[in-house]
Amino acid sequence: MTLQHYLVISAILFSLGIFAVLTRRNAISILMGIELILNSCNLNFVAFSRFVTPPENIDGQIIAIFGIVLAAAEAAVFLAIILAIYREFGSIRPDEVDTLKG
Amino acid sequence: MVVLLISIILLAPLTAFAIHALLGLAKQGFPRQDILSTFAMLVAFICSILLFWQIAPDPKPHTIDWISLGSITFSMGFYLDSVTVIMLIVVTLVSSLVHIFSIGYMHGDPRYPRFFAFLSLFSFSMLFLVVSDNLLGIYIGWELVGLCSYLLIGFWFEKDSAADACKKAFLTTRVGDVGMFVGMMMLFTRFKTLSLYDGADAGIFTLVEGLSGTGDMIWLSIAGVLIFCGAVGKSAQVPLHTWLPDAMEGPTPVSALIHAATMVAAGVYLTARMFPILTTSSSLVIAYVGGITAIVAATIAIVRFDIKRVLAYSTVSQLGFMMLAIGVGSYVAGLFHLTTHAFFKALLFLGSGSVIHAFHAMHSHHDEEHSDDGEHDHGLIHEHGSEIPPDQDMRNMGGLRRKMPLTFITMLIATLSISGVPFIFSGFWSKDKILGGVLERAMEWNSIHHYILFVVALIAAGITAFYMFRLIFMTFFGVPQNQEMHEMAHESPWVMTVPLLVLAFLSIPVVNPLWFNKDYVKPPEQHHIHAPEHAQVLPDSKTRNSDFSFAFLGVSDAHAAEGEEDGHAADAHHAHSPAHSIAMILSIIVAGVGILLSWLFYHKRRFSAEAVSTAFRPVYNLFWNKYYFDEFYDGVLVALTVWKSRLFAQFDGSIVDGIVNGVGTVTRDVFAAFTGFFDNSVVDGLVNRIAEITWAAGGRIRRLQTGAIQTYLFVVVGGIVLIILIFRVL
Repeated sequence: MTLQHYLVISAILFSLGIFAVLTRRNAISILMGIELILNSCNLNFVAFSRFVTPPENIDGQIIAIFGIVLAAAEAAVFLAIILAIYREFGSIRPDEVDTLKG
Repeated sequence: MVVLLISIILLAPLTAFAIHALLGLAKQGFPRQDILSTFAMLVAFICSILLFWQIAPDPKPHTIDWISLGSITFSMGFYLDSVTVIMLIVVTLVSSLVHIFSIGYMHGDPRYPRFFAFLSLFSFSMLFLVVSDNLLGIYIGWELVGLCSYLLIGFWFEKDSAADACKKAFLTTRVGDVGMFVGMMMLFTRFKTLSLYDGADAGIFTLVEGLSGTGDMIWLSIAGVLIFCGAVGKSAQVPLHTWLPDAMEGPTPVSALIHAATMVAAGVYLTARMFPILTTSSSLVIAYVGGITAIVAATIAIVRFDIKRVLAYSTVSQLGFMMLAIGVGSYVAGLFHLTTHAFFKALLFLGSGSVIHAFHAMHSHHDEEHSDDGEHDHGLIHEHGSEIPPDQDMRNMGGLRRKMPLTFITMLIATLSISGVPFIFSGFWSKDKILGGVLERAMEWNSIHHYILFVVALIAAGITAFYMFRLIFMTFFGVPQNQEMHEMAHESPWVMTVPLLVLAFLSIPVVNPLWFNKDYVKPPEQHHIHAPEHAQVLPDSKTRNSDFSFAFLGVSDAHAAEGEEDGHAADAHHAHSPAHSIAMILSIIVAGVGILLSWLFYHKRRFSAEAVSTAFRPVYNLFWNKYYFDEFYDGVLVALTVWKSRLFAQFDGSIVDGIVNGVGTVTRDVFAAFTGFFDNSVVDGLVNRIAEITWAAGGRIRRLQTGAIQTYLFVVVGGIVLIILIFRVL
């Protein structure tokens, strides 16, 4: 298992995330795509921490932990917004929430 | 000490005026504002008396720099010599008495406080004029007294005649003031200073000594005559005398103060002040103007019936005498007559005011009706001969001496004084000194001009006695002409009679410093007066009459001693000229003849004035119509001015307006059209094109803003991928 393997996995995850964010019509699915992107980043951090920096330097791991915490907070805020949008518009499809469109 | 006193003298009336003005602005009259003004004047008078003991024998001006313009500095300051102090005392004394008199005379007038405010302002202006050491200060005071005169003549401005008279006075004196200003500027361009006396720099009187040569003399003569023009206007000399009789429309105390005693004498004072710059020819001009004024005004006065106008013409005539005295070099005589005249003429005016006041009570309602009539057809120059206010018409008077004994006695003293009744009345001495001065110069210079002037002045003196006694006889003697008015007449209250008594006392010559001390006033030297070739002067004597012994009549009477101080460099003045004795005897004769004729005509009715006037109809008409001066001004100068104004108005209307309108049309129709077209097509077109392009572009570009987040995100990701690819390729 070399660094390349991790990076490839991470790139695949990232691409899937991007794909999900760009293509899904459901806000929840978009959130899932974003989670994939975040996790691919975390994976990258951990991988680089494991293979590139000296073993006593654990900055990468710590940042990964931060990333997970942020993802959790973000999910909570995102879901709250989704709920509010649903109550307002009766839908959670982003393309239907277009009140600000000129 | 001197500066302190002079400051108090100037500031007292000014402060009174300022308080009046401020209270007036605040609309807060306090009940006795008259006391304030009167008190201020009395303070000034007391300070003048104190100053009388303070002046130095060799005065220096007290000056400060006032305005600096580049290299030229205008200074402002006081110059106090004996003449100034005498003028200060005369002005403050007459002004104080007039203030007191006015308390009674103006009582009940709706603008009573304003009257005293104006009187205070006038007193300040006059005092400022008197003490100034430079022409600029004199000019400022000069114009201020003119303004006060205007305000006070027009004090009863509801009357059309008063409104016309004040305008006339202001405009007529302005004519002379223009001349004076030009004269000042001539001196200024030459000497670069307006100071008269040596202060920090040499004054005009020192600089003028340096002039010599024919060109300079001509220049100096012109400058002197031009400055004298101001005096002609202010002192009502022919041909600018016409405003003074009309000025009688003002309240009588004003006539006494401004138009008899002080302001009109300012012209004489100015001429006397400018004595050192007078040349032989400008002196002759002054003497002639004075002489002509004396006789012209005296003859007009004979036929007037309005008591105030008789006195007004008399004032003009007496001012002519003073000018004549200055013109013949009798400096002291002119100023002496100025002071004596100030007292007795103020007395005559106040006395006439007392008479008018006595008649006024019953006629006030008449006046109101009269003014309500609204005579709107007056020209600038008002013809007064036909409509004399009934309370001023001497034909309504007569027999008043029992009704108004104090007024009668005091006016009689003044009349005796002005007529030149010998020995106990001041007017005799001063007028006589003038006549003597004229004759003396005539004999010394053997000058036909001065002989003519002497005869003219002598005749004028006789006429003066005649018309003054005519006034007295018509007013106070005989039977009452208008019984109804006579019943109403009463002696005036004490505030009015006390000033009369004081002035009557002053008309007896015990109080005049010029009288007491013949060395008190020293005439300044005139460097540019030269006797003509044929003059009978000793060649080695610098001045005239050093050894002059015509000895007609002997020279040893008391009067000849007085002759010494008559106005030329006193140093070489040892022998007595017989001129004064001759003049005195002749003047007593003409005064006696005048009084006798007056007595025969108007008291005994031995001759009928009507018969004489019918017999000499053309002459009478000439006098009655005041030598047609008003008609001349109205018909020629005013008409010419109006015609000229019309011409200018036409010029304005057709040519100037035409040019302006033409330019306007060209601008509007050519330039404006072109620029309008340019604006509309090019500028607007450019702006509109840009707007259209922006609009169209916006219409297309707005489609990019889909509002779908995922589209944006797609573009972002695509962009990043693209950038990465580009950097890979590079």
